[in-house]
Amino acid sequence: MIPQAAADEVAALKRRGARVDIFDENQQCYIKADAVEIPSPPWAATATDIMIAIPATYENAELDGFYVAVPLGWNGAAHPRINGTAITINGRQWQGISWHYPDGRKWMRGADNIDSHLTHCRGFFLHRGATNGY
Amino acid sequence: MGTNLRITDRHWDTLRKRCAASFRSWTSKETGAIALFGRSVTESSRDLLVSEILWPGPGDIKEAGTGNLVFDGSYIRRAHMLVRERRLAGLLFIHTHPHQDETASFSPYDDSEEPELVANLCEIEPQTTVASIVLSKHAQFGRYYEGETCEPMQRIFVVGETLRELSLTGTAPQPPPSPASIFDRGRALTGNGALARLAGMTVGVVGASGTGSLMVEFLVRAGCGRIVLIDSDLVKDVNLNRILHASVWDAETRQPKVEVLRREVTWKGLRCEVRSIKGSILDERVLAELKTCQLVIGCVDRALPREVLCKLSQQYLLPYLDLGTEIGGTEESGIASVDSRVSYVTPDRPCLFCMGVVDSRQLSFESLSREERKRRLALGYSDDLVMTQPAVMDLNARASSMAMMWARHLLQPFMASLPLAVYENLITLTTRSISSPRAATQNCSICAANRYRGLGDMGPRLGYDELTAASFMDD
Repeated sequence: MIPQAAADEVAALKRRGARVDIFDENQQCYIKADAVEIPSPPWAATATDIMIAIPATYENAELDGFYVAVPLGWNGAAHPRINGTAITINGRQWQGISWHYPDGRKWMRGADNIDSHLTHCRGFFLHRGATNGY
Repeated sequence: MGTNLRITDRHWDTLRKRCAASFRSWTSKETGAIALFGRSVTESSRDLLVSEILWPGPGDIKEAGTGNLVFDGSYIRRAHMLVRERRLAGLLFIHTHPHQDETASFSPYDDSEEPELVANLCEIEPQTTVASIVLSKHAQFGRYYEGETCEPMQRIFVVGETLRELSLTGTAPQPPPSPASIFDRGRALTGNGALARLAGMTVGVVGASGTGSLMVEFLVRAGCGRIVLIDSDLVKDVNLNRILHASVWDAETRQPKVEVLRREVTWKGLRCEVRSIKGSILDERVLAELKTCQLVIGCVDRALPREVLCKLSQQYLLPYLDLGTEIGGTEESGIASVDSRVSYVTPDRPCLFCMGVVDSRQLSFESLSREERKRRLALGYSDDLVMTQPAVMDLNARASSMAMMWARHLLQPFMASLPLAVYENLITLTTRSISSPRAATQNCSICAANRYRGLGDMGPRLGYDELTAASFMDD
């Protein structure tokens, strides 16, 4: 099921030119952001697709972690934090990443949103932002 | 089917205050206002929920005399437009009769003019429904129009810092009947009037386990007339340390928790009817059963049901008491916390999230699909969200007992005011009142910025379809 707030935010992001999409698969809502720019090196590509699971109670529930389209090389190997079970959603292979909000900068209900979470997710590729990983 | 009005105490008290000038002398003029209402319909009643009152501004009252009041057409049009824009159910016209005191009734002028006004509004928008209330100094009389039919209204439920019930039949308040002698010893705390209301009330109890079973017991022995009891679980042996009345036989034969409690309440013969519903409160059909209640008591231990109940409270103007207990610590480090808590939520109070009682991380995990939750757990950073919570009957009793005292206070106030929440810490032996929200979010879609407050059935669907609700249950 797609939460209305998420659908509204994705529509607003699209109007601003962002390449994002929202869909439901097996009773779980996801947002997919295409061609998110990442630094290469160390990453093996200059852009990647990422996917975020949206809880049914978003915007009261926070967003946490994300999936990256795999394979995605890092310094000639696999990144140690891309360690979730590989899954197939929407015809693509994805792998979960433990990338959370640090204790000093928790998710702020009413202020954070999909846009700010995408920024937070990009921080993973830039190796900045969150300090706790596991 | 009877028609009632449900309104927050903020709206009702402001309305009465603004109309007070009408009753100062025989020369005082009529006054009034237009309210916008949503609707909650069940098999047995239709409740009009006051979502907003449009107070008249300059020019909105065209004529006001000692025996007549005419709202300006632009005021009525503005209200009608808002009803349509916000997808509300209709308009409530309120006006005073300064010369009426202990009783209230419509005048021949009202009787002749109102049907014409209703017809005009329905011509513009056929879905419009209209209600009208006339206020005397101490009484109020209401009627409800739907299409060409008009029927008298019955009661007003005033929801907020206390729970009041007023007649809408135009008669002065009647002395309450003497209660049965079994309630004699409780009358110092819950007098005849409060007891009569409790006997006529339907209270929803969500959760029939540790705190829920005790809550039911307290309500029955306090004189509650009807309980809607909701829980999806069966009795297991691990529950026997805390579910009142549950037996080894109940656990061995896997009896539904709600049936165990219904059986015991029926057997007691204390004139309390229990409607037991074995189902998830997340299921929209189960949740809808709470529409018949005048008070909801949440005895749940998860964030997702609490979110749904907070939304229900706002959308249907239902008062909601929430209970919780916590035993924290590990075998290695020892006991860190032994807490009980009660919170009170109404449409004019912060929700449990803004109070800081429920956190959005827990809610996030609980409202992912079952498969997604499994993946999160496999990543190893959500273990704390699925730990089996320790629970004991003696601690549960502290929360349930405090909640019952709060329920009594709502019917017959004895405290200066109810805080948002009270935490009792049994390690430090201290009680802490929370009077301001600890995690207030200005644009909170559940409370402060809820667009569906008072919309009732006109608002979005609350809860989930059966399949989705089941997917959120523990594996």
